[in-house]
Amino acid sequence: MKFKAFLTDSGISLLEKRFLPALDKLGKLCHLYFTRDHFILLHNLLSGDGIQAIAQFRTAVLFDDYRISSQNDDRIAFSVDISLLLRAVRSSAAVWTGDGGSTDSSDHRLQIKLVKKLPANSTQPMPFLSFETKGHRSAVIQDVPISKPLSRSLVLELQTALDAAQSLPATLVQAPDMHKLQGFVDRMRNLGDSLNVTISKYGGIHLQISTTLLTLGAEFQNLLVIGDRAHQAPNDQSLSAQARLESALVKGDAQSVQVSVKHFAKSLHCHLVKPDCTFYGIGDLGSCLTVIFQFFVPGSRQTDKSISFHCRLPVQNSGAD
Amino acid sequence: MSSSQVIEAPDLICQLDSVQGMVNALSAVRWKRYQDAMIELSEHGIVLIVEESGCLQAKVYMQSELFIRYEYNAQGRPRFGVSLGLLVDSLNTFSVPGHPSAIEIQYPGPDMQLLLKSTDSLDACIYAEIRTTIPETISWDYISEPVGITPHSFIVKSSALKEAIDDLEWPGSSIDITLQPSPPSVTFKGEGHGDLQIDFMYYVNTDLLTTFNCDRLVSHRYKYKFLRATITNLPSSVIKENRGSKFTIGRGGMLKVQHLVSVARLSDARPNANSTDQYQTRKIAFVEFFLKPEVDSDDY
Repeated sequence: MKFKAFLTDSGISLLEKRFLPALDKLGKLCHLYFTRDHFILLHNLLSGDGIQAIAQFRTAVLFDDYRISSQNDDRIAFSVDISLLLRAVRSSAAVWTGDGGSTDSSDHRLQIKLVKKLPANSTQPMPFLSFETKGHRSAVIQDVPISKPLSRSLVLELQTALDAAQSLPATLVQAPDMHKLQGFVDRMRNLGDSLNVTISKYGGIHLQISTTLLTLGAEFQNLLVIGDRAHQAPNDQSLSAQARLESALVKGDAQSVQVSVKHFAKSLHCHLVKPDCTFYGIGDLGSCLTVIFQFFVPGSRQTDKSISFHCRLPVQNSGAD
Repeated sequence: MSSSQVIEAPDLICQLDSVQGMVNALSAVRWKRYQDAMIELSEHGIVLIVEESGCLQAKVYMQSELFIRYEYNAQGRPRFGVSLGLLVDSLNTFSVPGHPSAIEIQYPGPDMQLLLKSTDSLDACIYAEIRTTIPETISWDYISEPVGITPHSFIVKSSALKEAIDDLEWPGSSIDITLQPSPPSVTFKGEGHGDLQIDFMYYVNTDLLTTFNCDRLVSHRYKYKFLRATITNLPSSVIKENRGSKFTIGRGGMLKVQHLVSVARLSDARPNANSTDQYQTRKIAFVEFFLKPEVDSDDY
């Protein structure tokens, strides 16, 4: 089992400034999964509860000179403490740029590789992901402890979970202004634990907290819809937000799920990845709330297919049927 | 009262052009997590009352002039109970930093709820329905002084007051407030784990003590925790604007502390102070605290 690659400039900045900080907010552990063509960061895919997050990159987006070999069809997966990984990438990047590395990237490169080493006070060699930075004046090696590589069956399980998580909701609605949404959710989170999220084919997102003492909600309308859409009856506009919600649910033009407010607030942290667009949708039969982050090819409005990132929020119990 | 099916106009529909001012004013009387408040509606405005253990009462007055629309349709003065924390937190979700968020308030809803609704954006709407209760009776009411008697009073800059009360935390327990005519001064004195005395001299520093009315020595003792409740949650804008907080000691040592909380929109409050002064004075909510003095004698 061998893995070795050089991180590119853009790869370092994607991981250091965007993806690792976002995943760090979601939780402590993360699976790293390398295949011949892809590098995938997976959060919570095997454990089942909590938010799941999947960030997938074509290897060329992050790496140069990417070499992988394993008896399991050249696939390697292991888990790592995401904050340690982030620290290693951060300090490697600092050594590298501090040493004038970015001026001539052919000489000064950041290599990562899988190694087995004998840690101090131990007789058992342990696996590490090793970061090796060579600058003009210094070379720094950092070893990030990782789990034992996953067994063939676990890798298969991971791949199956990954494939299952790829299905797209029938209707996706573009998220409203993120600052507004984040501010709203931050302030409403004291008021309840469960959040009803309704997505309508008219391009509406409706968030509602409901307790015995209070019902509080926010309705965002006229958002971009991808997939199944429908036209709202013109007189719906004169109704109250709650009446519109009822009417859309009755007509089958909207679907509703209940998620944890905490999970929803956490999923908003994923905006640290600085996506160009964000979409919300509800999985088949109300199985989960899916958040899809879209990235454009720099300087264009075309989807960058080499990067994908999405989250799935578990449903507490199915909302309105 | 007829029980006809005709939909009657609600007792009150009003609109406020910036919710933040209301959040600030109501937060000022929020001294603990769970507080039941009573709201009274009238053609003059909205009054919210909270009280604690019969010794401390606070009122927030939001006069009808503060609202851009105020439609009052009730007979008498409807009263209802509401959780203050829930009301403030709900109002706060309507507030977007750096953006005046207009809201509409309606009472009652179809199920006697208090209804809130944002009104300033077509594409996004925030709403809340807050359950109300039958109000508990207010155990006492502050009776204003009879005509012709000028109560003892002084106005102190709010920031200096806050500092003084913060400092008095150290001796704690009870605080004596003494007003004396010569030399005209106000003294806060705490005795507990040590003594601390803070004097505001009227002639020495007219910046701190802006008004002073007292013709004989008066001294009363108040519980520190209640005195602190009058200032701890004061919005930062009150300290910044530093208008002054008014202390009045009435019959029997009843202390009234009054703060002025601006509920003007941010954009109105910003431009040069002079031109907006007049406008701002109209956009003020009054926050008043009433404290009963501690009784020394054994009829505690």
